[in-house]
Amino acid sequence: MMGVIVTGIGVVSSLGANPQAFRRALLAAECPCRPHPFRRLDGSVVTAPAYIAQPADAAGLIEPKKLRRMFRLARMSAVAARQALQQAGLDPAGMDPSKLGVVFGTSMGALEVTQKFVDSWLEQGAQHASPLQFMNSVHGILASQVALDINATGVNLTTAQRDICFEAALDTACSLLEQQRADVIVVGGADELTDLLHECGSRLHQFTLDLAHRGIDPGGRRGAVIPGDGAAVAVLERDDSPRVALARVERTAIGRHDVGDEVVSLAMKSVGTIDLVTTARDGSSRSAVAYKRAQYAVPSVSHLGNFGQYPSAGAQQFAANVLMLHHSEGYAPLVDSRPGPVPDVPKRILHDARSVSGNHAAYVLSRA
Amino acid sequence: MAAQAAPVAITGLGVIGATGRGVAAMDAALQQGRDGVGPLTLWQSPLDFPVGEYRGPRLEAYLPAPELLPRMSRSDMLALVASHEALQQAGLAAPALSKARAGAYMGQSVCGTLTSEAVYIGAKESAAAGDTGKRSYAGLLVHEGANTLDLMAKTFGLPGPTLNFLTACSSAANAIGLAAEVIRSGRSEVMLAGGADSLSNIVFNGFCSLKVVSPDGPRPFDRQRQGMMVGEGAGVLVLESLAHAKARDANVLALLTGYGHSCDAHHLTAPHPQGRGAIEAMIGALAQAGLGAPDIGYINAHGTATRDNDDVEAKAIAHVFGDRTPVSSTKRFFGHTLAAAGGVEAVVSVRALQLGELPQNLGTQDPEPGIDLVVQPRQTAVTHVLSNSFGFGGNNAALIFSRSE
Repeated sequence: MMGVIVTGIGVVSSLGANPQAFRRALLAAECPCRPHPFRRLDGSVVTAPAYIAQPADAAGLIEPKKLRRMFRLARMSAVAARQALQQAGLDPAGMDPSKLGVVFGTSMGALEVTQKFVDSWLEQGAQHASPLQFMNSVHGILASQVALDINATGVNLTTAQRDICFEAALDTACSLLEQQRADVIVVGGADELTDLLHECGSRLHQFTLDLAHRGIDPGGRRGAVIPGDGAAVAVLERDDSPRVALARVERTAIGRHDVGDEVVSLAMKSVGTIDLVTTARDGSSRSAVAYKRAQYAVPSVSHLGNFGQYPSAGAQQFAANVLMLHHSEGYAPLVDSRPGPVPDVPKRILHDARSVSGNHAAYVLSRA
Repeated sequence: MAAQAAPVAITGLGVIGATGRGVAAMDAALQQGRDGVGPLTLWQSPLDFPVGEYRGPRLEAYLPAPELLPRMSRSDMLALVASHEALQQAGLAAPALSKARAGAYMGQSVCGTLTSEAVYIGAKESAAAGDTGKRSYAGLLVHEGANTLDLMAKTFGLPGPTLNFLTACSSAANAIGLAAEVIRSGRSEVMLAGGADSLSNIVFNGFCSLKVVSPDGPRPFDRQRQGMMVGEGAGVLVLESLAHAKARDANVLALLTGYGHSCDAHHLTAPHPQGRGAIEAMIGALAQAGLGAPDIGYINAHGTATRDNDDVEAKAIAHVFGDRTPVSSTKRFFGHTLAAAGGVEAVVSVRALQLGELPQNLGTQDPEPGIDLVVQPRQTAVTHVLSNSFGFGGNNAALIFSRSE
């Protein structure tokens, strides 16, 4: 059993732009899915349902000078990181920076700025490409931007592994803490939904254009999903930290399908009594295939109907799981915008994230 | 800083890039002083800078699973070809890999963008021309770096953790260092680890926009250096627990003994002027290996040949090691293979240990003072080699490889 605790969370979500608003919306079973206009490359506009993150409010958290250099994804991530550190009662200025690390999961990275960079040389010629946009387009810059903001000179990693981006970052961060490569790790997941991504996703029949769908139906079998975006961050520390623990990470695992099944089975058997399973079911046919073999002896829910589907949405599920455990409450999963049954208050949660590509991640989170 | 840790065995090497396909081709290029500097042939560009392109026979001919070709980017192909070579040398195939819960950690940055940028450019041009005909967007499916890992898992039958790390030019070094920890933790007995990146318009135009590309190829640590050369390639190691390697009587080529990692938290692209993070990474690697600076017999420098990077790296090396440890950068052989650099240079470092020959710092005529630059191939038996990789965002990684006997 690992000795890692969660001491803070930060969230910039379609449900709310801070942890308090996020929690209120989860308790009230609010559905933030809205028709959203997406501009296509040919100049036309299509309106489709989406869960778009609320603007990140950096006031009092990030210096305006630093903020100006951040594109949307970095801004969301840095704000969520600051929120999480604030909740943990950690002031980076007073910490040994070499003991403070940042690990992020993001599937697409800063897509908006990458597109701007490509456009800069397509439209003005390769000689006039924008260096600022190029440097911000690099995947790992997300974690670097957060590190720059909080002066974290310890471990700094970004991983991108489809639908288990965040879970992979969490697994990596916990390992790094166990190896004592850091004392505090800001672990997060962030992705942005851009016009281009929506056009690509809908042309590949992965995102629905059907406005009759008012929210994700995690248990359904629709061909496409309703996409979203956002950032969520947790502060992780070893359990000898003097700070208040919101929850405890008991186990993490990643692997391919077969190992994943084994991991879930082992977790169910060996880590005490698990009373709730959360999943990344998004109601798509791909998700149905990924979870075909999933069998749990306890109730399972997916909150993707509450905050939308995107590759690192596991970070928001993690934040929701921490809140459920810390506040001893359950959140109704939304099914096509309507609340499903509120799960019993959990004491120990198994999260089981599976992707049709064969990626599989799991973690067990318990009350502190 | 990580505590001293058990060494991990290296039982296979695979490499591909401007030196050609395979370790033998790389050895020959290094020994003959044959650089990888050449024209860009993958697409037409108005920017007249040389690149370190793989110019060998078509990659498709060497794919271990050609039926998966429709799902592959050029980066994927480079990764698969290098991985296949490494596994063949290690003598490991599907049943044994499955039993060992083998996984793969790869460093990437370009991923499938050579394919996906073409889809985007085509779609944009069509839209501008008012062409409403149907276009294929399937090429976008290879955009993500995860595609490489999924293909590796499928091709080689890897049931264990498969992750990529995207920390720009230190990606592969981080992937290798972290993969060793997976083995130490007992989760897997065998890991494929390294990096792969192809050329793409985005990276080529991007580095040119930063005004750091040399018109005549890189001259690392030369006082007259004019910048770097963008390259492509893959370098992959088979890492294995010593117990597993011994149990199957594998030929242990070298040991991975140290990994250090840090972030400058200073600037998005410029290194910390005093090399703070680079120093921390090297010291961290020494600590994990349980070694002191005098134990290191050779340093394979990141040495991109940009003015700032080489200045800072030389300072950092001098700070940790003084001026008597032999140093060379092999970037003129391969170009800067970006996220793959740490993987390619891990293979170079292991070969230096095995052959007792330090690769030359090709292209340098007027060496910077302050470090012992290897300007000609140097025959000398070394026991421990350190390899540096530094990336955008001030991301620093250092690996230490040691002789196995």
